[in-house]
Amino acid sequence: MYAWIWRRLPGPLAVRAVTALLLVVGVIALLLFVVFPAVEPLLPFGDPTLE
Amino acid sequence: MVSLDTPPQAPPPERRPGRPRAVLRGFGEGLITLGLVVLLFVFYEVQVTSWFSARQQADATQRLRDRWREVSPEDRAPEPIPGRGFARLYVPALDSGFPFTVLEGTDQDTLAAGPGHYTGTALPGERGNFALAGHRSGRMAPFGDLDRLGSCDAMVVETATEWYVYRVLPLRGEAADWAPEAAPERCAGAAPIGGPYREVFGRNIVEPQRREVIHPVPGVSRGTVPEQWRSRLITLTTCHPRYSAEKRMIVHGVLTKRYPKVADRPDLRPPELGG
Repeated sequence: MYAWIWRRLPGPLAVRAVTALLLVVGVIALLLFVVFPAVEPLLPFGDPTLE
Repeated sequence: MVSLDTPPQAPPPERRPGRPRAVLRGFGEGLITLGLVVLLFVFYEVQVTSWFSARQQADATQRLRDRWREVSPEDRAPEPIPGRGFARLYVPALDSGFPFTVLEGTDQDTLAAGPGHYTGTALPGERGNFALAGHRSGRMAPFGDLDRLGSCDAMVVETATEWYVYRVLPLRGEAADWAPEAAPERCAGAAPIGGPYREVFGRNIVEPQRREVIHPVPGVSRGTVPEQWRSRLITLTTCHPRYSAEKRMIVHGVLTKRYPKVADRPDLRPPELGG
């Protein structure tokens, strides 16, 4: 999977490395700011109130 | 020297990974990725939510200060508005982020901004039970260290017009042979209450369904004890154990002192806060 992505990145090595880094940062940001806040209420922890 | 007896060997086959191998490799990478995502989620829960909450808490505090500026200490404290701050909570024995602005309501959005007040329970200083919920981990974890509170530790609540000093009630093991005259001076007023309160201790672990701990008299059905016989309690509820929501940790305190705010001396603070 990762090798497949790497082979499809355009440009010389330095450009590929920067693109790959940006991809990783983008995925992390997407998880932290969109995915996790959305799935968190569905998970059974973190509620400190009484039922 | 190559012996002539040896049959000619075919060149080794081209090393191309077969299809099963590629699938296996993709599966492995997927598992590693999943592991990293779970680790990232832990980081999110504990740290990133706190960054979001810090901003919301600061907003709530700013709005509360603006609101208080319009209230003279001679007035009545304004009614809490759902989702907005209405009081400040100081716990001098804990150093973790106190004071916090306390907001009205216990829905998840409100609790993301700071400790929340169970709507319908008593307000600060009133007879009955001023009950608050707060996160134990993540979202600034305002109640993260409640397990470190001991009997007689102060919980100071500031409203628009007054300061209220509550103190943690004696713990389960201490209450039976509590000697008020032998207790330290700071314990004045924080002795076991007795009567309908004899099962109310400074700290408890209960099941999440035990909503009666925030009743006007904890553990006693509403309306059993007439209002004029009720003590003025504070109750803090949070998750237990840390990082879990399996049970709830409950801290009960009783009002021991109150100081009215002085209009032209807004800098005055109660001695419990080193004022």
